[in-house]
Amino acid sequence: MNTDKPLLIKRLWVVSFSLMLVLLIAMFLGLSLGSSQSGMKAVFQNLFGIEPHDPMLDTIIWKIRFPRILLAALVGGTLSLGGLVFQALLKNPLAEPYILGISGGSAIGAIIGILMGFTRFPGVSLTAFSGSIATLLLILVMSSGQTILKKDALLLSGVMVNAFCGAVIMFLVSLTQDARLHNIIFWLMGDLSMVDMPQVGILAAMLLPCFFLLFWFSNSMNLLLMGKEMAQTMGVNVQAVTVILLVATSFMVSATVSYCGLVGFVGLVIPHLLRLLFGPDHRVLVPACVFGGGAYLVFCDVLARALPDQGEMPAGVITAMIGAPLFIYLLKRTRR
Amino acid sequence: MAFRISDMLVYRSMAIFFLSVASFIIFLGTPSLARTVTDQLGRNVTVPDEPRRIVSLAPNITEIIFSLGQERRLIGVTRYSDFPSEAEKLPKVGSYVHLDLEKIVALKPDLCIAIKDGNPIAVAKRLESLKIPVYAVDPRNLKTIMQTVLEIGGLINAEKRADLLVQNMDFRIQKVKSLVSNVTYRPRVFFQIGVSPIVSVGTHTFIHGLIVLAGGTNIAEGPVSYPRFSREQVLGLSPEVIIITSMARAAIFEQVKAEWSKWPDLPAVRNQRIFLEDSNFFDRPTPRLVDGLELLVRLIHPELFKEAE
Repeated sequence: MNTDKPLLIKRLWVVSFSLMLVLLIAMFLGLSLGSSQSGMKAVFQNLFGIEPHDPMLDTIIWKIRFPRILLAALVGGTLSLGGLVFQALLKNPLAEPYILGISGGSAIGAIIGILMGFTRFPGVSLTAFSGSIATLLLILVMSSGQTILKKDALLLSGVMVNAFCGAVIMFLVSLTQDARLHNIIFWLMGDLSMVDMPQVGILAAMLLPCFFLLFWFSNSMNLLLMGKEMAQTMGVNVQAVTVILLVATSFMVSATVSYCGLVGFVGLVIPHLLRLLFGPDHRVLVPACVFGGGAYLVFCDVLARALPDQGEMPAGVITAMIGAPLFIYLLKRTRR
Repeated sequence: MAFRISDMLVYRSMAIFFLSVASFIIFLGTPSLARTVTDQLGRNVTVPDEPRRIVSLAPNITEIIFSLGQERRLIGVTRYSDFPSEAEKLPKVGSYVHLDLEKIVALKPDLCIAIKDGNPIAVAKRLESLKIPVYAVDPRNLKTIMQTVLEIGGLINAEKRADLLVQNMDFRIQKVKSLVSNVTYRPRVFFQIGVSPIVSVGTHTFIHGLIVLAGGTNIAEGPVSYPRFSREQVLGLSPEVIIITSMARAAIFEQVKAEWSKWPDLPAVRNQRIFLEDSNFFDRPTPRLVDGLELLVRLIHPELFKEAE
């Protein structure tokens, strides 16, 4: 990585700004579309204070849609980063928190927390975090015959852990008798509609420090991709960095799961796309993932709201419908 | 002494002065067109005196408001609010388990009426944070349904209509009670609300209450509200009457009936007492539940009516 420092910084700004612009466009779309069918023009006028204020439109835009798109942006960024980090650490282009079962593990933890009657924060967030750490350990133990993580072994054990998590979730759901069941099912499918501003604030307070932490370690990720020995000689404490990155990522993913359930494949689609566009330098990819992933999930959520005739579908349905075929395509391509 | 009396007079007049100022302030503080009531969950809700824009968050609430003749106040209902059929024409705000917050807010309601079982509490809380009052009801049996009818009647200024409706319900319930009081045998009833898997009703459901009132024995009684059954379990309990009320169509009913008919030893099969009934009479806590009760008596104790005719 002998890129010129000033050149790198320039690239970083260009990429970040262009993706931020995409995110802003997505957020504007997210603000202007919704089930109440207030026209885009009215929203535009409201945003820039042209028309005399309609208090109802104000409420809908700022108290209902705004927290929702902020949540989508945060979650999208987090999940993309999660995918990026896992792909770098495990040197596997198909690694992603959802496919590896980390999300599923968090979901088990979160459901247990919900059934025990904990509040979203800190109770459910903590049980979700424990669930994700447990699955992470399980995958690492299962896939490491020796110290080297083999590509297929890792992916296979991840898929198995994910299937197991699915079974445990179904078990827990079928145990639940009362009306909470419906809520759990909607939440599981990746529902972004149920958050208000204070909750988004709490989530942001958990996630934003992690974003900076990952950016701090982005060069280490570059070096790790060149091999452990290489990284070691370049002055990276491989073990410490790996542990920090894995724990931070699991924490971020479990936090998003406890707020909006399972949103799959974002961490697969976005890092791949961005790597194609901007190359493999993680110092650029980390901020790119934050903005690009955010924009992607905001777009998916807009689709989730606009597509069904009545009501809306969970955003997780859309991301999976886009992501799963792409996963198969990538799997075929890497096999060659 | 005289000094003390004049002292007391001063105190008293001061007290009266302060009290009147305080009450004046309180009077100014409360919006004159609203009142605070306690809903069935024990929460204090400030509702408008004359609610004109009500969003009903469950089909049974829609039905109750219609039965009170106050549908002009309704501006939004949930999906599956299909009774009476005029209710289907009203704007929909999602299904009662998955409410569309934005739609509700866009309708600018001055009151939302919610049910405890089903409506997500998060939506109720957010509606309240957006200054939309949410009155929650929790009808669990005929008695609390009548209570709910009276309370909703009070909320929307239809007390008289509500009173009449409840009197009518009560009258019909008493009639069923006196009719059933003569029966000596209580047939074993299996009330099937789900086809696949087979689901029945436990002790803490209003359907159980109806079966008992109608002079039957609910063979599925137990602590679980909606227990799942295997076919084998049902056969072991040898029901004498099977009532199926799933939302299934007629074709599926024939299939279910054929399934049961494979066991001719089953008393219900032997005596051809397998019935399909409209689930709307039984699965919604509304005044129509009394229709369901009368129906059940006819199914469980047909002899009571043969004698009369």
